Amino acid sequence: MRTLHPFTLLAVAAALPALAWILPAPGGGLATLLVALSLTLTPGASPGPAGTGISRSWRPGLVVFRTALFTAAPFWLFLLLLHDVRTTVAIGLRISTMVASFVWLAAVLAPDRLVEATVARGWSVTAAYLFAATLSAVPVLKARARRIVEAQRCRGLSPRGSVANRFRALRALALPLVLSALHEVDERTLALESRGLVSGARRTSLAPPPDRVVERVVRWGLLLLCLAALVRRLA
Amino acid sequence: MSVRLLALIPVAVAISLALSAAVDAVALPLFLDTTGTILATALAGPVVGIAVGALTSAVNTLRNPTFWPFVVVQIIVALYAGFAARAALFRSLKTAVPAGLGLGVIASVTSTPISYFVFGCTTTGGIALTTALGKALGLPPLGACFFGSFVSDFGDKAVTFALVATVLHALPRRTAARFPLALRAIGAA
Repeated sequence: MRTLHPFTLLAVAAALPALAWILPAPGGGLATLLVALSLTLTPGASPGPAGTGISRSWRPGLVVFRTALFTAAPFWLFLLLLHDVRTTVAIGLRISTMVASFVWLAAVLAPDRLVEATVARGWSVTAAYLFAATLSAVPVLKARARRIVEAQRCRGLSPRGSVANRFRALRALALPLVLSALHEVDERTLALESRGLVSGARRTSLAPPPDRVVERVVRWGLLLLCLAALVRRLA
Repeated sequence: MSVRLLALIPVAVAISLALSAAVDAVALPLFLDTTGTILATALAGPVVGIAVGALTSAVNTLRNPTFWPFVVVQIIVALYAGFAARAALFRSLKTAVPAGLGLGVIASVTSTPISYFVFGCTTTGGIALTTALGKALGLPPLGACFFGSFVSDFGDKAVTFALVATVLHALPRRTAARFPLALRAIGAA
């Protein structure tokens, strides 16, 4: 699965939830959910960048499957709380398809391959930079947020007590994080300018993922399938 | 788009997602997931804000797929924050908080149809529980869904606006002046 072109993986992950919503419930949702869940069991669907983690009590091949089930389970509980059984099944199957598809996508799609694919397709370097820089900035800032929380606690900040006290604590935690991040914009700007980055410029892809004819046909086929299902549903 | 604004976008997305650690520490019923969108808009205008909002939704989708349809809300937030910045509503907490409350109403009106028709009002545990409370109070299904969204969005957006106003005032003037809209947003230009 990991060797497939990133656009093919995206197309499959987008088509399954779309079909789940387009096809009549519950049959359509059940069929798409079975396909999505079977994808989570395919070789190559490993924990990946989403950080799904590995439990010793589960075989590695089942980690993605388990993550999909555990992510979807609360929705069924909330649906049962708010709706009758028929509606719960109809919406639950659709949401579960969406969850399973995206959990599978997060496990098999390597961000660097996606960036290479967009660059090879001729997208501007701006789009590639935004995607790659965002994915790398999020864990860095999350780690910094945790360090700030620990540092403020060491200084005696109490995040508990009255609501007013909690808001004061929130200010003391959020402000250093946001201000330090904004100062980082200067450093990033200098780094990008010194590398000659210009908005709209094109980059040469070093290792473009192979895009086979079969995969292109599959992508167009999925699009046509979704459109046909939509037309039939509306007719 | 200038390189500075390009560098701002990933940082603003990361701010939105990293603030959850601060919220978890103080255990308040807030999301603050639009902070980056509002901050980027107040600094650089709605185009940058929309880019931040769309990217925030895309990255959040990898964690929880139900976030993606709410990208519309992020775009509305960016447009509203752009209006607020041009009207200098970030000049003090007295103007920022009511503006945030206004955004809370708009955001809940926007998110309710998505939440109701796509997810049956089960996007997060908190919203599902407040929707159940609205149902128990005798509200019709769509009304209960709006109640759930309103309860979660109303206070959250006011706090987010207050936080962004505080950040803008805490920024050194020289740093703020490097962004096209920052000084106007706080009424200093």
